[in-house]
Amino acid sequence: MDQHMISGYAPTPIAARMENHGPSMLKVAMQSGQDVFARTGSMVAYEGFVQYEPNPPAVRQMASQWLTGEGAPLMKCSGDGLLYLADYGADVVCVNLDNEALSVNGTNLLAFDAHLQWGVQRVKGMAKFAGQGLFNVGITGTGWVALTSRGTPIVVDCGRGEDETYVDPDALVAWSSGLKMKGKRSFKASSMIGRGSGEAYQLGFSGQGFVVVQPSEDSTDRLRARG
Amino acid sequence: MAREFQRGHKAKISDLTAGTDLYVGVQMTGPGLSFDISCFGLDADERLSDDRYFIFFNQPKSPEESVQLLGPQAGDTESFRVTLDRVPPGIQKLSFTATLDGAGQMSQAGPGYIRIVAGGEEVARYAFSGSEFSTERAVMLGDFYLKDVWRFAAVGQGFDGGLDALLQNFGGEVLEEEAPQAAAPQQSGAPGFAPPAQAAAPAAPPSFAPPAAQTSPAAQAPPAAQTSPAAQAPPAAQTSPAAQAPPAAPAPTPAAPAPAPQSPVPQAPAPQPAQGFAPPPPGTPQAPPQTHAAPTIAAPMAPPGGPVPPPAQPGPPGPLPPPSAPNPYAPQGQQPPGPMQPPGQMQPPGPMQPPGGGPPSPYGAPGQVPGQPGPYGVPQAAGPPGLGAALQKYREAPTGQRWTLQNQQLVRIDLGADGQPVLARQGSMVLYQGKVDFSYKGAGFSGRVVGNATGQEMQLMRCTGRGQVFLAENGAQIHPIELQGDAICVSAENVLAFDESLQHEVRRVEGHGIPGGALFTMQFQGTGTVVVKTQGVPVVLPVTPTTFADSNAIVAWSAAAQVIISSQVRLRRNAYPGHSGETVNLQFRGAPGNFIVVQPYEV
Repeated sequence: MDQHMISGYAPTPIAARMENHGPSMLKVAMQSGQDVFARTGSMVAYEGFVQYEPNPPAVRQMASQWLTGEGAPLMKCSGDGLLYLADYGADVVCVNLDNEALSVNGTNLLAFDAHLQWGVQRVKGMAKFAGQGLFNVGITGTGWVALTSRGTPIVVDCGRGEDETYVDPDALVAWSSGLKMKGKRSFKASSMIGRGSGEAYQLGFSGQGFVVVQPSEDSTDRLRARG
Repeated sequence: MAREFQRGHKAKISDLTAGTDLYVGVQMTGPGLSFDISCFGLDADERLSDDRYFIFFNQPKSPEESVQLLGPQAGDTESFRVTLDRVPPGIQKLSFTATLDGAGQMSQAGPGYIRIVAGGEEVARYAFSGSEFSTERAVMLGDFYLKDVWRFAAVGQGFDGGLDALLQNFGGEVLEEEAPQAAAPQQSGAPGFAPPAQAAAPAAPPSFAPPAAQTSPAAQAPPAAQTSPAAQAPPAAQTSPAAQAPPAAPAPTPAAPAPAPQSPVPQAPAPQPAQGFAPPPPGTPQAPPQTHAAPTIAAPMAPPGGPVPPPAQPGPPGPLPPPSAPNPYAPQGQQPPGPMQPPGQMQPPGPMQPPGGGPPSPYGAPGQVPGQPGPYGVPQAAGPPGLGAALQKYREAPTGQRWTLQNQQLVRIDLGADGQPVLARQGSMVLYQGKVDFSYKGAGFSGRVVGNATGQEMQLMRCTGRGQVFLAENGAQIHPIELQGDAICVSAENVLAFDESLQHEVRRVEGHGIPGGALFTMQFQGTGTVVVKTQGVPVVLPVTPTTFADSNAIVAWSAAAQVIISSQVRLRRNAYPGHSGETVNLQFRGAPGNFIVVQPYEV
């Protein structure tokens, strides 16, 4: 077989614990003792000796609010090897936290180091958003986090003007934890933003920090939807 | 408020804007024509004494980056960033030129302009149209020149001979030319363009001395006057080969030219050599118009490796959109030729790929392999840690125009003080800042029509106020089209947003077999921007007598083209079960110059 054409996609040498392989695949260099939490169902390939523990007790406790009765959306991966993760072709962004904090929309979280501190919160005041609750996962510490985004994301500074930054919750990927967030519902009949539901809702952010937004209002949790 | 310039008008930059960090956009299009927009940095004698100040697609910035080529964006065919206070004192004039690439003449060009944007506001615009020209093949559009202070002049001066005549006007030299260029002390151009080491050789055309083995030999042959655009060889008739040669020159010469497939140069012996090129602009140290009949050599030009990536910039260059970035398949290193991007893709070279500094490029640039401790060891020192570093490449592009493409899938509208509202598809807002009001745009015009007939209303919202609105829809690719009084038809499903100042009407293309009974299109006319979304990279086809398109895949077409429904009835209609056996196509008719846009996706 002529492997010439596909030889360009061979894995590159490891340069970081988490890195992109192409725009939409994540490569994690696993080492025993350094476990990784990854979205259940996101594994597409692995090499070496990697074990998966779905629904681990730690997650079950932490993510109890996240759960809606099915299994936990996270699995613990441990072992030595190379782990490849992907989420239906969404763009993957690797972030190396340096004692920083980040809030990630639960749907857009792909993987993160297990030694990071994390917790699940509901967005206050906004019980249910677009058919599914909007949960954010707050992650703090020093380590790697991988996010997914449908399309190339954009990072917008919030502290630029006095005005708040309003984001369509379906397009929200992540934001820096220092931001104040509040929901804004608009019941004006004339205001028609969002998915044509006739109800406008946005998340307003204020303070110093940034917001990561994806160029798509597709917030379907495909990994979850597959079951 | 933009000041409108006429040909010959001049103004001080300081009267236009207080800033010196300017964005210069040139729009120049023509049916079937392709233009090279370049900038010449000239000395006091109006000579191109330093070829590093010939800014064109192969040399996208000057050494100290006072002039940078930014590529097409925001409706401009080509754009530059000019930082006037960083222009070295030796450069007294920056001349922006457009040259035709391939066949054609300037009279075929459509309306165009050169404009200056400072601080997010257009401060000057010189509009012209092809009707002002005749058989010229090059045009000097406008100049920045230093006369006590920096000034701008709208020139609009045509040249018959194309790029070589233009170069000659600026002191370039044509091979085998005996007559010296007169006047200027550095006549014959040789010292000017030669690398310093070779400057002593006066007579020899040093341009073609084989330099260090960086460029392939073919690349040093002087290109013909009519350089084809695909072959990305330096079009500078004589100068640029030398420019690429000296190792010190920052020209974007890739280290190892990949053996990319090359389209050979059209071998037509330059039909219009420079004789009869129009006189240089007033004030030029006038040389007697040379009738240079130099047989320009048409050599097979080796493009230095396919689409030449601009040199990687070390850092984010100030308030600019990210440079179009180290190509992931950068020619340095031994990349297999497999996934090479085909040259000549018509994507905007915008923020497709992040600039360096983020995580390693997808397929690994060479030299990024630190020592690995274990079989799957994790070197921790990969780039600077932290949120800022990881997200740097996704920062928003801060050029403050009304419509700014942030990346291929996101567009930002700056709703400024002019109070011009924007109509956008409902639900396409992903983020906004400032005091922006979104109101329901009644279905008065299009919604009702489209809605009644197809059962699917196209609902719009009106964005008013002051602030920035980010629009995107399902990761579709986004293409702002700036209309300058012309008209375009866009399939209603592909409209993302448009200026309300545009006249728009809904047209209905009826035909048997079109899903929903008819294809609804919106025709836009006037001056403003329409943002079109496509699934995937679209193709723009010229309208010929036999141009057909699938009614499901058509995105837009120029309004002058006429649409005809053509049905092809297959005889073997049972060949595919479930297939009706009848395919409906749209056929387009129109004068040359019309085009259609088709997306690789059938809605």
